[in-house]
Amino acid sequence: MKNWLKITCIGLLLYAAVFSLWHPMGPGGLAVSASKLHPGRNEFKFTGYATHFKEAESSVQVFLSVDSSAVYCADVLEVIDNANVIVSVFLPDTISSKRFGFAANNDIDGTIIVDSPVGHEGFVFMPGTRNTECTYQVKAESFTRFGFPYQPIIIESIRNLMWHVPMWFTMFVLMTISFIASIRALGKENGRVDADHDTRASAAASAGLVFCVLGLVTGSLWARFTWGDWWTNDPQLNGAMVVFMVYVAYFILRNSTGDEEKRARLSAIFNIFAFVLMVVLLMVMPRFTEGLHPGKSGNPAFSKYDLDSSLRSVFYPACAGFILLGYWIYRLNYRIQKLEQHDETHA
Amino acid sequence: MCTKGCRIFDAVQSFWALFNKELRLELRQKHALAGVLLYVLATVFVCYLGFEQIESAKTWGALLWVTGVFTAFNAMQKTFVSETAGTHLYMYTLANPRAIILAKAIYNALLIAVLNLLSVFFFMVFFGTAAFADADMAQFITGLLLGSTGLGFALTFVAGIAFRSGAGIGLVAILGFPVIIPLLITIVRQTTLALEGASVDANSLNVVVLIVLNVVSFALSYILFPYLWRE
Repeated sequence: MKNWLKITCIGLLLYAAVFSLWHPMGPGGLAVSASKLHPGRNEFKFTGYATHFKEAESSVQVFLSVDSSAVYCADVLEVIDNANVIVSVFLPDTISSKRFGFAANNDIDGTIIVDSPVGHEGFVFMPGTRNTECTYQVKAESFTRFGFPYQPIIIESIRNLMWHVPMWFTMFVLMTISFIASIRALGKENGRVDADHDTRASAAASAGLVFCVLGLVTGSLWARFTWGDWWTNDPQLNGAMVVFMVYVAYFILRNSTGDEEKRARLSAIFNIFAFVLMVVLLMVMPRFTEGLHPGKSGNPAFSKYDLDSSLRSVFYPACAGFILLGYWIYRLNYRIQKLEQHDETHA
Repeated sequence: MCTKGCRIFDAVQSFWALFNKELRLELRQKHALAGVLLYVLATVFVCYLGFEQIESAKTWGALLWVTGVFTAFNAMQKTFVSETAGTHLYMYTLANPRAIILAKAIYNALLIAVLNLLSVFFFMVFFGTAAFADADMAQFITGLLLGSTGLGFALTFVAGIAFRSGAGIGLVAILGFPVIIPLLITIVRQTTLALEGASVDANSLNVVVLIVLNVVSFALSYILFPYLWRE
């Protein structure tokens, strides 16, 4: 690998590491302290995440919406700090439904929404009830500072996007290199197997397997944080585990026979099988089955987030950096194996 | 010279000859077949001793296919092992490798289908037919056949690789298990839905995935087997 590529790789990875971890979060609504809403005055605390309530104290407004048709303005009693505001809201006896939502406005963060379900007692429900005394403006555009978008539940762990996803991209690239090398190993005209391409295939597959393990580990951490378990029954997780096992089986097969020609032939054949299986498992099947990964039933990618420029500006360099790193490891692997083979033949 | 039509005729003829050879080999080695049958019976019986009765369709589907998979592995053991180096060379000079894999794969698929039908029969004997009260039998049988052929196609090829490597039977399990897991996940889901009496619409996606997996594993073994066969 050329030196300038190595420097680019290290540079990209450093950039991705620094920005994925140090980059601030954008504002979002975390929770409200109201356990049960009732007619009359309700006092509760609105908690935001990475918000600037204290800095923009004069412009803070809090709203309670019912069924997205009626809005009730809350009086701001006290702005405790940048994240917490104590408010009180007056609710009438008759409201339209029990679907409550909370929103807070200020000049720095724009509109922040909390969408967690809240209990209630003592209301009379009359669909279509409106409130004309309060109007609600959405100020989503006004947050102009640089920050990763706030996603409920995911929150800070959105930084893992720059680590977890590139692992799988890199694994795909390496396995594709391995797959092509295996085809070329078998494709010699005289019916012999090309040992050099077989070495390439195994070097790429072993580098790919490392990234598969890293993808599983980073994914498992993320799953623990967002879905509550180290392992969940998701088609992509199960598929990734199967891919891991298939490639481990590939290396077991490689070690099972001493004859070089035979090993090259058999492992090339199995590798082609393994690659097709991987494509079916990670790219085809998750599209058909329900799962927890973003953008399910249609697209297993992260279409919802990739429009955000702050994420993109770190995510793409991270992908490029990891793919270069994977390629670098593969080249080193390949050269080590070649040297070992050279030693064996000249010993 | 042989024309195109005659070549197709040739291929069909050699396929039938090889298929016949597999069948005769099977019937000649009655102890091997009896061993597999005993295995099916014993597994179902152990399930019966452990469970006594099965409440949910999910358990039915899972147990049926756990039995099915191990039966398939068992039946697969002799598909290449019965061929010594001498027979291998003889077959190599005699027949087209594509005809050989075609015959072996289809024979094994049918064998596994028959064995699985038999294990369903044993399950019915021991556990009764209550689970089939609201089952959609057409879906159930479709799934059973597609699952069996899928197992047959994938495992025949994997067994071929394992036996070429000379490492023997242990390697079939190591290579084979990860390869058939996607098939298993789908087939257990399909069988469970069929037993619950789900509508055809709800289950059609599973059937499509099963067909895709069947086609993929069959196509791959058909394309790659000549490379495996060569030495």
